[in-house]
Amino acid sequence: MIRVDLKKQAYRLRTYIALGLMVAVPVIITLAFKLGGGPRDHGQNDFFTVATHSGLNMPLAALSAMSSFLLVVVVALFAGGAVAEESSWGSLRYLLVRPVSRSRLLTAKVLVAALLAFIATALISLSGLVAGTIAFGWHPIATPSLAAMSQGEALSRLALSTVYVAWSMSAVVAFAFMLSTMTDAALGAVAAGVGLGIISQILDAIPALGSVRNWLPTHDWHAWEGLFAHPATTSDMVNGVFLQIPYLAVFLLLAWWWFHRRDILS
Amino acid sequence: MNSDLGSLRTAGASQRRGPPAADSEAVITLRNLTKRYSKDVLAVDGLSLEVKQGMIFGLLGPNGAGKTTVLRMILGLVHPTAGEVLLFGERMRPGSPLLGRVGALVDNPLFVPHLSGMDNLKQFWLAGGQPLEQAHFDKALEIADLGSAVNRKVRTYSHGMLQRLALAQVLLNRPDLLLLDEPTSGLDPQEMREIREMVRRLAQQGATIFLSSHILAEVEQVCTHAAVMNRGRLVAIGSVGELVGAANNVYLEVDDVTLAMRVLTGIAGIRYATPEAPGISVQLNGLERKKLVAALVNAGVGVETVASRHRLEDVFIGMLQEDDG
Repeated sequence: MIRVDLKKQAYRLRTYIALGLMVAVPVIITLAFKLGGGPRDHGQNDFFTVATHSGLNMPLAALSAMSSFLLVVVVALFAGGAVAEESSWGSLRYLLVRPVSRSRLLTAKVLVAALLAFIATALISLSGLVAGTIAFGWHPIATPSLAAMSQGEALSRLALSTVYVAWSMSAVVAFAFMLSTMTDAALGAVAAGVGLGIISQILDAIPALGSVRNWLPTHDWHAWEGLFAHPATTSDMVNGVFLQIPYLAVFLLLAWWWFHRRDILS
Repeated sequence: MNSDLGSLRTAGASQRRGPPAADSEAVITLRNLTKRYSKDVLAVDGLSLEVKQGMIFGLLGPNGAGKTTVLRMILGLVHPTAGEVLLFGERMRPGSPLLGRVGALVDNPLFVPHLSGMDNLKQFWLAGGQPLEQAHFDKALEIADLGSAVNRKVRTYSHGMLQRLALAQVLLNRPDLLLLDEPTSGLDPQEMREIREMVRRLAQQGATIFLSSHILAEVEQVCTHAAVMNRGRLVAIGSVGELVGAANNVYLEVDDVTLAMRVLTGIAGIRYATPEAPGISVQLNGLERKKLVAALVNAGVGVETVASRHRLEDVFIGMLQEDDG
């Protein structure tokens, strides 16, 4: 069933456009730095300030820039369309007249959405790494705190960061997927998934909300950057990993509950 | 109930007898099946019926009668508010293994638009967790008769092609039971005829067929048995012969309507004869058709057509009018 669903996605132009965007943006950022003569000092140290130091710095800059919005849109697109698109095409009823339980169908759909979300995240890192290495060479990286880090160390931390960023999308994926089981309008489910990411980030930027912010699903989205701090910190990453679990559980449970009692009328 | 219906079992009679008991021959058993979508919308109201092996069973009713909801409940797509569905004697639940013996065409045929017809068939089959080798592609594609178009993307298909692809899909597992919702909807006359012939052939090969339709002629031509629904309730059920009273009604096309009418009024065993352009509708009352035709021919009337025509429509409309009260 997973294979069937993956094939459906593999035949879609939309899949290639979405994943192509994940490849193209890091390349565009790299080209901008290369043609623009490198970063300008804008008074703070971040991944962009040191982006041209090594090819290994570029994927970190791309991941930092894209994980707040562009990646959110793409993962919401895969999750929000998972069931709702089948519903709007009318093919959902044909899937459900096969001797296949609704649980099995949902499991396949959510796993494919999660896999595509991971691939999208990995492509950012991979594309940034390849483009950055071609443009700026294979050197030890400079962290935003201007400490040096060997290529091997940086590469393993980049891999860990990529997995973390992908996992951080869990709440968005689960929320968009839940709505996808409830509506025939895939675009609505996608927009709601993106909306969750944006609203959560806006609320997280309001200090008056105090400790409530710690529970927002996007609160620790950038905690992976701690891996490149001096000294490295991982406590926020651990929090971030666990923070996704209740959102994932609640949204997916609601999706299962709703879909099992839903009448398929489309 | 119209007295012309003879041994026809009405909904009232059915309720007095209680729901039909399931036995080994029953392919579909519906017991007191009810679906309420909201406080104001009662789509199906206590429907009980039984479809036995080898029947071509037509579910007739006007739009909004609840036919599609019944089909969807049989398939587990819609949850009944009350009552139960038994397939092959076993209780049907969503995603049940029993669906492996069923082929279903529900509502308009719709497919994944960016895949070819062939890929849609393959994906549909694989989604059931069975290997491609077990699907009867050759037979299904022969019936679908899509030619090389089966490799084109579905978004380029006409409605008729989509319907044929849907029927091919339905036949992939050589089903014991076919559930067809308005199978000729949107097709041209030639395509309609092909589909009806296909349905008959499948029944001859042993499949049980349950189809919903609002086309009376279709049910009359294709089905062995039928039930009439109106506003969610069963109005009547029986064999098509019983429903139509086929032996009692004849439509004649003759070369001289005036002369034929004069002859018919003088023959015993005819309840009435009414001119109905371009021919005459005759309600028999004991007279055999061949004697009727002989009498006309002997009187010099050329008989071009003798057919049972419009009767189910008459019965159907009469039933609905009576039901609507």
